[in-house]
Amino acid sequence: MGFLSAFASWLGMKKKDVNVVVLGLDNSGKTTIITKLKPAEARTQDIVPTVGFNVEKFQTKALAFTAFDMSGQGRYRNLWEHYYRECHGVIFVIDSSDKLRMMVAKDELTLMLENADIKMKRIPILFFANKMDVRDSLSSVKCSNMLELEKIRDKPWHICNSNALTGEGLEEGINWLTDQVKDILTQKKK
Amino acid sequence: DDKWLEAHYDPVSSLYTFTQCITMSDINADGDHKLIIADLGTGSYDMKLKVYKGTSLMTENAIIDLPTGVVTFYMDTNEPHTPAIAVASGPFIYVYKNLRPYFKFTLPTLSVNPVEQDLWDQVKEDRIDVMSLREMLDGLRCEGATLTVRSMRFLQLQSHDLEPFASLHKHAPLKRQTVITCLATMKKSMAEEDAISCLILGTESSHIYVLDPEAFTVLATMDLPSVPVFMSVSGLFDVEFRIVVACRNGGIYNFKRGVKEGKTVFELNSQPVGLERLGKNIIVGCMDRTLQCYTSKGKKLWSVAVPADITTIQMMDHQQKGFKAILVALANSEVHIYRDKYLCNVMKTPDVITGMKFGRFGREEASLIMTTKGGGLVIRILKRTAKFEEKDISAGPPSSQNQKLNVPKKTKLFVDQTMRERENAVSMHRQFQHDLYRLRLETARNYVKALDRSMNPISTNPQEPLKLAAQVQGLGPIFKLTVNLQNTSMTVPSLDLIITFQYDNTLYKFNKSIIQTPMLVPGLNYSFEALVECLSDKGISDTVKVFVLKKNRSVPIIAAIINMPISEAMVVV
Repeated sequence: MGFLSAFASWLGMKKKDVNVVVLGLDNSGKTTIITKLKPAEARTQDIVPTVGFNVEKFQTKALAFTAFDMSGQGRYRNLWEHYYRECHGVIFVIDSSDKLRMMVAKDELTLMLENADIKMKRIPILFFANKMDVRDSLSSVKCSNMLELEKIRDKPWHICNSNALTGEGLEEGINWLTDQVKDILTQKKK
Repeated sequence: DDKWLEAHYDPVSSLYTFTQCITMSDINADGDHKLIIADLGTGSYDMKLKVYKGTSLMTENAIIDLPTGVVTFYMDTNEPHTPAIAVASGPFIYVYKNLRPYFKFTLPTLSVNPVEQDLWDQVKEDRIDVMSLREMLDGLRCEGATLTVRSMRFLQLQSHDLEPFASLHKHAPLKRQTVITCLATMKKSMAEEDAISCLILGTESSHIYVLDPEAFTVLATMDLPSVPVFMSVSGLFDVEFRIVVACRNGGIYNFKRGVKEGKTVFELNSQPVGLERLGKNIIVGCMDRTLQCYTSKGKKLWSVAVPADITTIQMMDHQQKGFKAILVALANSEVHIYRDKYLCNVMKTPDVITGMKFGRFGREEASLIMTTKGGGLVIRILKRTAKFEEKDISAGPPSSQNQKLNVPKKTKLFVDQTMRERENAVSMHRQFQHDLYRLRLETARNYVKALDRSMNPISTNPQEPLKLAAQVQGLGPIFKLTVNLQNTSMTVPSLDLIITFQYDNTLYKFNKSIIQTPMLVPGLNYSFEALVECLSDKGISDTVKVFVLKKNRSVPIIAAIINMPISEAMVVV
């Protein structure tokens, strides 16, 4: 970390800008999570199904994130791949209460991992097993089993339970993502 | 499978149901479509209305009689705008709102046969005994009168049960009711997705009723020549509508607004197992393993044979992709997807599918719900990236077969020949037969000659069963002649045999003219060799005969003729 703080001061204390793309099926809670990550005064009250995508900015201790909050509806999912090239990380949100569509989420995840822009890049993927508060929701371990996350070997990934309504579990995930993105940026600099 | 995702498979969900008893609807108005299944239970009791949220069972309601159809419809415009569930069962429609029983509609009663009515009246006044009642009712039935359920049940009873049955039921008024065979909905005056709909019922008494969704009164009654089994409804009741009905007699009938009697569209060769309407076309699955398509005017457009019995058919309408097709479930545990008459996908299923529904389930637009013969529930979701080929994937004649060949014109010679063949057919046939007999005669003669001279390579003498094979090796002027001899008997060895040769001694010279054979053990192959020198250098050849002789007998047992090859000239180096 000594190097990193030196690196930050060399940048003139300016936080590094990074892009993340937020993916997941419709109604999994992407927009709710991103809204929760923004400072309280910037939040919008009503969450409606996203059309196309939204661009949101939020900051953590070390990085300034620009999040491309993609719409999860079937007809907009083909937009996702256009944002893979520029991204430093992926946030994939899973509705852990929707067992029926776990296979759909897995299919979309597979399509993403096979995309040429993602396949060759070593970018961190953060999974949120969202809606942990719903009765009968699946645990993060169960989710990662069903999505066969253990098969992702060439990219760092992390899964954590979350409840986007209260913000529970979000911090843990975002901290992990910040560390990973920082690591990768440092390695590139070297 | 590259087109479908297996979202859920429960082989033991203990569901016994059919296509007509499955539907999906947003019954809580929360954007999450629930799966509603009327379960036939064991087929005689334990009937239930089951509602699934996602993959888990949300509620269960008991149904009293076997369900024949389930639909959801909007019966009012109250907020929250939730649809009601209608279950057809026996002569009743049970309507559920918010998953609670709300209303029970009973089909209008039919007129009772006056004789039957009179008989039961007499029972009430104890003027008739049960045995003669049974006789009279049986007589009525034999005359072809349709009896009430009570009389039918009475006729089924054993004689000692008749008295208690009659005394139990005689005071209740006699009613003749029919049962509902199929159920559908039709929008009343607005075409919106969530507009108020009427219920359309088909009954065993060959009627179709249209019910008002608010007051549950009969808005219209239509008559059919047979019992309706499948219905396809389109249009608005207050404006204009079409009801296409498949009946148990194999006829397809069409109703328009204001028409009382169904118009025959066409008659099928076989009984229908499913009816769907795709645009203006009517698609019917039949018991003779065909899927047939007709226009609304009754003109047959196409018919395709499927490899197994059809269990059910279902329309697949994927609005997002603008893709419409017919799903055909077969008895060989496959689901075939036909787009027009082209097979574009074959799906294997773990069991025979008896019921299926395609539509929005949960939040997924393209879900296919299937129930199996063994009571399983299969849920598959069409992949976002799935593409169906336009072309037929089923094997058939290659397209090149349809190309027209460039056949040359008939020549004069060909025409003349054809004419001659036509005129002289009898004599040609006679000539052919004549030649055939001559050929056979010639063959037989030569055979006899060969037998006489023992010129055949297999011995016909039963005492000396032998087989002879001879061959010549070499280029010349010296050849090697190899004679193979085999005793073909099972047990008897051959003794005292001699091999000798007959040849032109000006042309050939043998190094030995006689070969004494040892005892020939049955089954073994013996080979003997002799060297032959060709004496001529003129490039001529002759035949050499090989004889196998028995001592003290002049007629050879077997013989072989060898055509000697032409000798190469001696090269002196």
